[in-house]
Order: sequence, then structure tokens, then C-alpha cells
Amino acid sequence: MNIKLESGNIFDPQNNIFNKKMDLYIADGKIISKKNIKGKINKIINCSNKIVMPGAIDMHTHIGGGKVNIARLMLEDFHIENNKNFDSSSIIAPSTIKTGLKYIEMGYTTCFEPALLPVNARQAHSEMADIPFIDKGGYALLGNDDFFLDLLRKKASQSMINDYVAFILNATQSIGIKVVNPGGINAFKFNQRALNVDEKSKYYNITPRDIISKLTQSIYDLGIAHPLHVHCSNLGIPGNYLSTIETIKAANSLPIHLTHIQFHSYGNNGDKAFSSASVEISNFLNKIPNLTCDVGQIMFGQTVTMSGDSMSQYRNHNHAHPKKWMCMDIECDAGCGIVPFKYKDKSFVNALQWVIGLEIFLLAEDPWKIFLTTDHPNGAPFTSYPHLIKLLMDRSFRNDILKQLPKSIRDHSILHTLKREYSLNEIAIMTRAAPARILGLQNKGNFSEGSDADITIYDKNNKDIENMFAHPIMVLKDGKVVVENGKVKNYLWGKTQTIKPEYDASIEKVLNKFFDRYHTMKLDNYIITESEMSNLIGSEIVTNKCKYERKQ
Amino acid sequence: MASRIKTNAEKYIVCPFCSLHCDDILSKSDGKKYSISSEASKVSEANKTCLKKIESFNINAKSILTPTIKNKKANLSSALKYTRQILKKQKDAIIVNHGIDVSGVRSMLNFALNYNCSIDHINSKFLYQNIGIVQRTGYMATSLTETKNRGDVIIVFGNNILCKTPRLIEKVLIPSNSLCTNAKNKKIIFIGEFPDKLLKNLSKKYNISYIKTKIDYIPDLLNLLSDIGSIKIPNISKALVTKIKPIISKSKYLVATWSASDFINSKNPDKIIQAISQFILDRNKISRAACMPISGSLGDTTSSQTLTWLTGFPSRIKYAHGSFVHDRNIYNNEIIIDKKNTDVVIHISSLSPNKIKINENLKNIFIGHPNSKFTSQPDVFIPVGIPGIDYEGIMFRTDNVVSVALKKIRAINLPTTKEILDELT
Ligand code: SF4
Ligand SMILES: [Zn+2]
Repeated sequence: MNIKLESGNIFDPQNNIFNKKMDLYIADGKIISKKNIKGKINKIINCSNKIVMPGAIDMHTHIGGGKVNIARLMLEDFHIENNKNFDSSSIIAPSTIKTGLKYIEMGYTTCFEPALLPVNARQAHSEMADIPFIDKGGYALLGNDDFFLDLLRKKASQSMINDYVAFILNATQSIGIKVVNPGGINAFKFNQRALNVDEKSKYYNITPRDIISKLTQSIYDLGIAHPLHVHCSNLGIPGNYLSTIETIKAANSLPIHLTHIQFHSYGNNGDKAFSSASVEISNFLNKIPNLTCDVGQIMFGQTVTMSGDSMSQYRNHNHAHPKKWMCMDIECDAGCGIVPFKYKDKSFVNALQWVIGLEIFLLAEDPWKIFLTTDHPNGAPFTSYPHLIKLLMDRSFRNDILKQLPKSIRDHSILHTLKREYSLNEIAIMTRAAPARILGLQNKGNFSEGSDADITIYDKNNKDIENMFAHPIMVLKDGKVVVENGKVKNYLWGKTQTIKPEYDASIEKVLNKFFDRYHTMKLDNYIITESEMSNLIGSEIVTNKCKYERKQ
Repeated sequence: MASRIKTNAEKYIVCPFCSLHCDDILSKSDGKKYSISSEASKVSEANKTCLKKIESFNINAKSILTPTIKNKKANLSSALKYTRQILKKQKDAIIVNHGIDVSGVRSMLNFALNYNCSIDHINSKFLYQNIGIVQRTGYMATSLTETKNRGDVIIVFGNNILCKTPRLIEKVLIPSNSLCTNAKNKKIIFIGEFPDKLLKNLSKKYNISYIKTKIDYIPDLLNLLSDIGSIKIPNISKALVTKIKPIISKSKYLVATWSASDFINSKNPDKIIQAISQFILDRNKISRAACMPISGSLGDTTSSQTLTWLTGFPSRIKYAHGSFVHDRNIYNNEIIIDKKNTDVVIHISSLSPNKIKINENLKNIFIGHPNSKFTSQPDVFIPVGIPGIDYEGIMFRTDNVVSVALKKIRAINLPTTKEILDELT
């Protein structure tokens, strides 16, 4: 099947193409150059007066796994809105089917679950396999598991740690490694209620800094494209920007990605002892070449927070709205906490959180280093992305909302002084090309020959930028039209993006012993094979290449 | 526990028959008949019970290997044809799930979507008791491996929980090895009405205490143990309470475990679970503690997990007017069947041969494993394979966070539930 997208305004930042009127060709689900097309064109799609971008990529969204399912269960009382769309689950904890429907309607074609617990990987992948349309992937959680902490305590060699990290990526069919509150989740199981970057955990005698250093080194040594994905220590605590900066330093200049940085950029100045530290954090972001972050913008309204960070979630459970919450210790692997929450524009703290997120966006000099997320659903459901884009692109719209927030906000922030408006080019970078690059997805987020024909087409004449991004007129996934005139046409099922670094199999022997002694399942049962992915879990995998050969 | 060496003829299986889903069991098979043994060099009584149970799922003289229509043998295609005829005429069919793997639940949903019918699980009432705390207040939870390695004091509430999950003690509550506590020093407190003989045997081996009391007194008892109030509970001596209190107050990681079905005859099961949960929450103010509810053995967790991610609801749903809707009262299978608010009942039962009640006044389609038993003959019976014996599949463990990959150990050429449902959809 050959398709021609005729005379659209193309945005392809990876290839330095910005708003250029040109044709695009697709053959068998891939982008192709005109000269390489064999046979005749079967379908021409008129794209004049249309903006054509690669399908958007959400690099951090909680869409599958144990904690997502607990939230669905817990928030049953919210599952009445949106009735007619396959099921009545609400957008703050949507079913897998609804997740796929809502993403594809917005032109998102690839999404990543950032907190895939290795021991829960089978569930996370099974859920994600049931999300229609999109490609997906996960970052495996490490850094709070007893096996890893025991390796560190025993001063295992970096190469042994690398074997373990590589094993985990293979065994859990993941594309990256994430660490949440390094060592803190584990310390909470031993009744520690806080853990600073240079504080030792009581049981293992290890600091979060040790964990970050070892893991960033490991990701670098193995040639994994995606830097260590870090949810820093002290989430939500006033003054936490200092521990965020220490976490950055712990990477020793190696690549590191800080997630939902908004929740980690808090000062403790002023009469309320809560202030914006966006300037301090942005200085680092702008200065340090190997540092990237996603924002985790909050929006006002009801949502649910879900995190592997059981220590922080337990600390915050008194803020639950409605008044119910759950925390869980999980399998000597990690933990989780689910706390429903309502962000209120009349609350000084919530209003300042909203401001801090926007400040970080607007202070970031390089759109290749910052990513558009709400940490769905922690800051807000992903369906608020079009609204967020408008906040970034339209200063007067932003200021109108700012004016409605508590007056004291101005004394603790600088948002009102920021004049910047994001351009369409920059939005295309931060929602397409940049996430593809930071994840090492060569075939996504661009229109190079051979790339996946995941394409979103917007109406250029739509003057309301929020509406334009919320309702693309057409979306293609793997070259097939799945959304037409804003309506979902065909169901199809995406693939799972993975990476498979090499490792010395002797690590499996060590793990086997550990599992037989301490776990309640066998190592064999813990490992997810490729054939299990396709036959039982129900998703084909794509194996992305490492950037280079393993260094040690 | 010391393991023996697995021979080449042996294969590990994942036991599908209770929500612990042990995977340290070895099978040997000639393709049709299989035998089961433990990898442990010394096999416990509990383990022996399990091995026998698993072997009892072998084909025997009474097994039904060909479909039947009105109790007469039929080939698969005519059974499917007959079933389609029934389904064509149905107006309000209900699927009653008595146990199936993830693939079966997924197909069940497609089937319901196609025929506008409702779905319920036979154990939903117990499920809703445990989900009740999640939906009302939430709670602190833990999982099997955490309990094994960190739990130093474990309170077991109920009466029958150890019969439902025979190896809970040896595998989780008092294992041979624990990572962060001394396994030998673990203390178990039983609260409820357990078989005396069972506890007597356990006390020979383990460090256990027992507070024998009616289930309904659990909330009051927990108050006594927490120094809240001073209600008198029949047959509970002050001395006993004084003896137990320091065990609890010294605990570093206390685990409370129960099986909701043990509370079924109590006046207010929700109140008991809520009280346990509150007790654990209070403990967390000073130390660490968590709940570990044990679910039923009929794929309860598998069903609730899969339906929740697919529709937002764990059970009792119906496809109507283009959307899955939920109502835990209206789509309760017991009420629907008793009141005959349905015309066709589709029973799906691939895990247990326990006798299933058939309402003769309704049409009954039964998709079940070859050793299935029923109170009266269904209109159609289609034998299907057992997940974990006849085909590979995924099931969820009691703690929800772990799911296991079941293996295939014999080849008796039965279709899977998924295949049958997909064929009918
Ligand atoms: S305890 Fe349960 S899962 Fe384990 S062997 Fe016995 S029946 Fe099977
Ligand atoms: Zn997150």
C-alpha cells in the first residue's frame, strides 16, 4: 500500500524541517522517499492547510501495572463520566481501552510506562498489550530491590552491577531503568521515614548518592540510549531543590534524566516556607549537557497520585481527597502508593506548583532537553496536554489564569515576568523528536526514510491552539488511518519497545540462588521471554539497538 | 528447604489450584498421564496434600472428554452449532466465571461485548469484602515475598485459611530462610476458630500463640490489644491479652493475613476487615505493619485484575448501549439466576471440579474442565483444557502484584476456553 500525503506543512525537527510545504510518502507502514516507491500510489491524502507532524510520544505516563489497577479500583466512584466510550472508566484512572482511545484521538502514537516493577512486569505488559493503537514500553525500577542493595553493600564490581542491570532489561522486556527515591522505598520498609541524598540507609548502609552513581555508570557502560530515569529523593518537600541538585551531581556528569522535576524544585523561602526554586534548577538544566528532564505539570482539579515512592506517598496520605489511600510493600523489589488528590487553584501550595512547572518550561533554553508531561495522572490526566501546550504558546492566556490565583504567589515566583511563548517548532521538538532521541527510538518522532509512518495531521486553520492539538483531523499509525475527521476508525494494536544489552549469564546463577532462598517464585518464572510477550501477554516486541558496545 | 536435583524427564509446573501459585513442583508426563512430585528433599504434609490434589486432575474413567448436548455425546462442531442457536435467541445472558486464566477473561469480555451480556465471578462477594476497604478508606498492604523476608510477627485471622492455601505457612509465614529477619524467631498469632488439631501440630514445630474467639469478636479483641477500651470478651482472659501485647508491640514488621471467605458467617464481615486494617494503620504510626489478604482459589484475582484494567471494574459488568457498565447489585449472578433475570447462563470453569449448581429452569452452557461435576446436566457441555496442565497461560497470585506464567504438561487435545469463546464470538 503506497500513500501520498500531499502538500502539508511538515514539521520534522530531527531532519531540520520546520513548517515546510512538501509531500510525504508511505509504503507498507514506513516513510519512503518518492524515488524509492515501487508501483503506483494507492491513496492520496490532501494535506494542504494542514500541519503534519510525527505521532507524539509521551515519555512518562502511568498507563499500566499494579498501581494503575489499584487506582482504577479505588476510584470506582469517579467512573461515571465519559460514559459512552467503550466503558465508563474516568480519565483519571482510565481502562486500557479508554487510554488507547484518548491517546490516539490526541495524535499520540507511542507512550512509556515509567514505573515497571520487575516483579510486576508481566502484569504491566499484559495491561499495556490491551491498550489499542499505541506503541509502548516501560522503564524497569531498580535501586530499592534487596538484591541490588545487597550487591552494593557487598561492594560488587561495576561489571557485576552492569550484568544485573542488563539482565533486568532483558528479563522484564524494558527499554530503560528508573530509580524512585533511591534507597528510600527500601528504607521505609525498615521504618525509616526520610532519606536524604547523603544519608545512609539503616539496614544496608548505602546512600542514595551511591545508588545514582552506580546506576548512571551502568547505563552508560551498557550503551543504553535512555539515561537513568530518576525520581529524586524528598518528593514534594519544601526546600527539596537542594537534594535535586545533589542528585544531579551524583551522576558524575554522566547522562541523567530527572522526572517530574516540578515536584522536586521547591524552595522553602517566604512566610509560607514554600517557594519556587525553578531558577536554581533551570540554571543546572541549561548548564549541564547530559541533564534532561520532564516537567510533571499539575493542573487544577481532581486526580490521583500513584507512585513507586511509598515513603513519600505514606507521608502525604493525610492530603488524600477523597479520604482514602493505599500503600504497599512489594516483593523485596519496590513499593507503591496511591493517593487521590485534588489540586485547588485557591490553595497557595497548589497554585505555586502550577506556577513552578510553567516556570521550568519557560526557563529551559533547549527544547531538546525538556519534555512535556503531567506525570499522568499525578499532576493531571494526559488529556490536559493540549491545554498545557496553549499555556506555553499563549502568554496572555497564561497570565489570565495566573491573575485568578492567590495574590501572594507573585512574591514567591517569577512567572508573571516571563514573556516567552513556545513556537510550534519547539512543541514539535519537545513532544516528538526529542523524546524519540532520548529514548533511542531511531524509527520514531521523525520522517526519515524507513521510519514508522506514525503521523498526526492538524488543521492549520484552527486558530485555537488547544482545540487544534486536542482534535487532530487525522492520525496514521504504521501507515494506517486510525483517526479520520477526529473520529477513531479502526482498532489496531501497537508493539512493545525494548532494548537487550548483553550480560554475562553467570549473574543468573547468583540470582537463581537468591530467588530459591528468598523469593516466593523461581527465577525462571520471573523472566519474561519474547515468546511469552507475543503468545501470552499479547504484544510483539521491537528490539532497539544499544548506542555502542558494552564498555565494561 | 533443601532441594533435590531435578531429573531430565521432569519439568517444573506452576500450580494453578490456589492463589499461592507455587512453582517449585515437578511433573513427569507421558503426554497424557502425569505425576507430580516436590523439589524438596523432605516433603511436608501440606505439600503432600497439594501434590495429591494436583494429580487428581488426571483423566479418569469419569472424565468427560467429548462435548455433550443434553447429556448425549456430540462432536465439537455440533456442540458449537447448538450453542450458537441458544445464543442467537438469548436476550439477557450471563457469564458466571468459576475460574480461568487471563486469556479466558479477555475472551469473556469480547464475548460479552458481542452478545450484550453480563459477567460475574462466583466469588465476587468475597472480592467485594476485600475491595471494600480499598474503596472506603484504603489500607497498607504487603506481598508474599515481603512477608517471607521481613515479617517478624504474623497474625492469622479466620478459621479455614490454611486449608485453602495449604502451603502458606511453609512457603511464606515461617519459611526456612528470611532475608532480613531470623526465620526461626518468627512469631505467629492465630486469632479466630481454627481446628484444634491443626494448631496442636503446628505448635510442635513453630512458635505460635492462639487466641480462640468467635470471628465477630475480632474488632473488640484488636481494641483490647491496642489498649482501646476495656470490653470483656467471652473466654478471653486478661492474662492471654497481656501475653500477646508485647509480642505485637515489639514487632518490626507485622503482617495481618486473612481470607475473606472465612468471615462469611459473621454478622458483619466488612467491620472485621476494617478493624484489622485500622489496627495495621495504627501500628504504622510507630513501626511497620501491613495487610496481606488471601484471595480465593477460583482465579478470583486473575478475573478481578483483568476486568479492572479492561473496563475499570473488577466484576459484575454488562455491555449495554455501546459501553460496559457496572452495578454490583444488579449484575450479581446469584440474584440474577435466582430471580431468573436471565435466560441463558454460561458457566466457565477450567480450574476446579467442584460441583456446580445448575438452575434447570434456565438454559445452561457449560464450558469446563473434563472432571467437572454439576447438580444437573447442562444443555451443552464443552470440555476444555486446564490452564497450567493443558496449556500455557497467565494467572495472578493472591497478593495481586505477582502474576505467573503457567506451563503445559500434557497433550490430551482439548481446546482452550479462549478458543471456544472466540469461536462463539
Ligand atoms: S499451596 Fe496452593 S498453589 Fe501451592 S501447591 Fe498447594 S494448591 Fe498449589
Ligand atoms: Zn511518574
